Amino acid sequence: MTLYVQIDGRTRRIELPAALTGSLECTIDGEAMQVDVHLLEPGVMSLVINGRAFRCILDEGPTERAVLLDGKRFVYTLDDPRSLRSRRGAADDAGGPKPIKAPMPGRVVRILAAAGDAVEAQQGILVIEAMKMQNEMKSPKAGRVVRIAVSVGDTVQAGQVLAVIE
Amino acid sequence: MLLRPAWRCLRSNRIVFCNPGEVSHAGDLFFLNSMHDHHISRAGYNRTVSKSSQSAAKPNAAVAVRPIRKVLIANRGEIALRIIRACREKGIATVAVYSDADRAALHVLHADETYRLGPAPASESYLRGDLILDIARKTGTDAIHPGYGFLSENAAFAEACEAAKIIFIGPPASAMRMLGSKTKARQAADAAGMPRVPGSVKGLASIEEAHTVAREIGYPVMLKAAAGGGGKGMRAIAAESEMAEAFTSASSEAERSFGSGEVYLEKLILQPRHIEVQLIADHHGHCLYLGERECSVQRRHQKVIEEAPSAVVGEDLRRRMGEAAVTLALAAGYTNAGTIEFLVDAEQNFYFLEMNTRLQVEHPVTELVTGLDLVHLQLLVAEGHALPITQKDVHLRGHAIECRIYAEDPDNNFFPSPGLITKLIQPGGPGLREDCAVYEGWRVPLDYDPMLSKLIAYAPTREMAIDRMLRALDEYVIGGIATNINFFRRILTDADFRAARIDTGYLDRLLAKPKTAATEISADTVNLAALAAALFEATAAPVASAQPADTLESEWKVTARKESLRA
Repeated sequence: MTLYVQIDGRTRRIELPAALTGSLECTIDGEAMQVDVHLLEPGVMSLVINGRAFRCILDEGPTERAVLLDGKRFVYTLDDPRSLRSRRGAADDAGGPKPIKAPMPGRVVRILAAAGDAVEAQQGILVIEAMKMQNEMKSPKAGRVVRIAVSVGDTVQAGQVLAVIE
Repeated sequence: MLLRPAWRCLRSNRIVFCNPGEVSHAGDLFFLNSMHDHHISRAGYNRTVSKSSQSAAKPNAAVAVRPIRKVLIANRGEIALRIIRACREKGIATVAVYSDADRAALHVLHADETYRLGPAPASESYLRGDLILDIARKTGTDAIHPGYGFLSENAAFAEACEAAKIIFIGPPASAMRMLGSKTKARQAADAAGMPRVPGSVKGLASIEEAHTVAREIGYPVMLKAAAGGGGKGMRAIAAESEMAEAFTSASSEAERSFGSGEVYLEKLILQPRHIEVQLIADHHGHCLYLGERECSVQRRHQKVIEEAPSAVVGEDLRRRMGEAAVTLALAAGYTNAGTIEFLVDAEQNFYFLEMNTRLQVEHPVTELVTGLDLVHLQLLVAEGHALPITQKDVHLRGHAIECRIYAEDPDNNFFPSPGLITKLIQPGGPGLREDCAVYEGWRVPLDYDPMLSKLIAYAPTREMAIDRMLRALDEYVIGGIATNINFFRRILTDADFRAARIDTGYLDRLLAKPKTAATEISADTVNLAALAAALFEATAAPVASAQPADTLESEWKVTARKESLRA
């Protein structure tokens, strides 16, 4: 089985054998290594490589997946080699409408701009409250508010589009 | 290594679930009562102090002792659980209350009885003193422990408890009124001759008055909520031009958080350390200081790390601060646990800041270095007993550090991150304590404070306690939501923190610095993470493992492969 794992913008080609427990040989970008794999429970894995022990934990958040290793957190995505979406996505990053997404679940407590308003970069567009903290969502760039996608009092999920700026 | 959620270990037959309306005819409540109806002697407590030096304070025969057999905990989260545990240790029955967001919260699962208050917002649940008192009456509760936050510093609630003949585990309402309001406490501190920071003694009536007072004491100044705590309604103001906006936002934040928009002004002391003295007072006129805690590591006036003792407080300063704190508490007729907060400047002058008329979040560091249990003492004092020790029995030993583990993302402007905890692996081993109320599979609600847990390390010296904490943080995993665990590594490895060169502005300065090269990650580690990700994805793929026979077969394949590799 071959998987393409992207971490920090770089994709690594990883080949795994059919059986995934015990001592197995796999390759990372063509380089072979012997790994002893033991899945302790779903999401917790022990890897032993040349006697060195690593505890890897799968951290599944609402918007991303990550591996916890050595006290660090590595957010990853799986690249599907059949599509070039990720590369194309990076290309049209410069212009066009930009959504403002909720960074965490919360409630909309104030809306500071209306559709059609001209806004400056870093201007406050709306305010979300979660866990006794109010957080102002700011415009990522100077432009015009295309739409406000929520109303005061709405409960929003992490990653939900709150407004669009163009 | 892998801890199971604590509720799985519960004796489920001891939990009674029903609505408040059903309480009056729930006969088994009395059964629970009688189960805990055994006498608890004070002698049990005394194990924590050495017999040779221990000498109980003289009781006043005029003070009636009223045994507590059942306690209602008017709180949630780790503090509710911490109080339930102390009650259980003393053979006292417990009553939990909860909002709709907390039906599956750990405090609900640990209590003997538990009752719904109302919808998730605190104003409709944990702040509803009337509902809480109703439940207390119906369950035959002797005493209410308010924890911290919510109703803990609400004098009207303490009075309502007194009127209902239910013991409020805290100071009398009169002392709370005098010391709990920051403005009144400053007047009391002046009367007791305690040094304090220059500023307005009364709440500010208007923005104009704020301008006048600020000009008198000179900028920079600090606006604070009279009813507040935890940094809410607080603003530092460098110049007059910032006053109007700060005044409006501080008082509206205070109004939202505490139901009172009253704010006052203080001169801003540059680079102060936040050092506070823990007090415990009984109804017999005894008040003890239990050493200090340093809480200088703060962000937005919220404590992040607390430790005991402070690295800069010696015997003499400790005694002077402690005696000043005791004088003020006795003058106010204070009883039970309380904390007096001071600012300490570079010349070791201390200034009265405020009094917290409750048990504090960071009380465990004091417990570890004094060997005392503050909640046990609170219960003892609330029953009317004299303190079982005197000041000369209080000794500090070793060093304790507490990290407040929050559901927030330090890499994303410390945004709160409520949500599902998909993985929880808690640290263990020597010298650790964790006061925690989350479990794997629990969804952290967005309605309350983002604190998940308090991790406390205890060791003979400060340096060893820091290293022990670092080791514990390495073991600690909370998956599914962002936490500040990694952020603590950055603080605890910082040279200034390790040298105790800290003040209340320390953390902002650290955050302004670019991350050091030490946090750079080797390519090998990233490769390994990618490999682990691939293995997780491959093993989790549901299509690949549709037939259960596959697993067994692959085991055989693996074994066969191993054999062939050996050969």
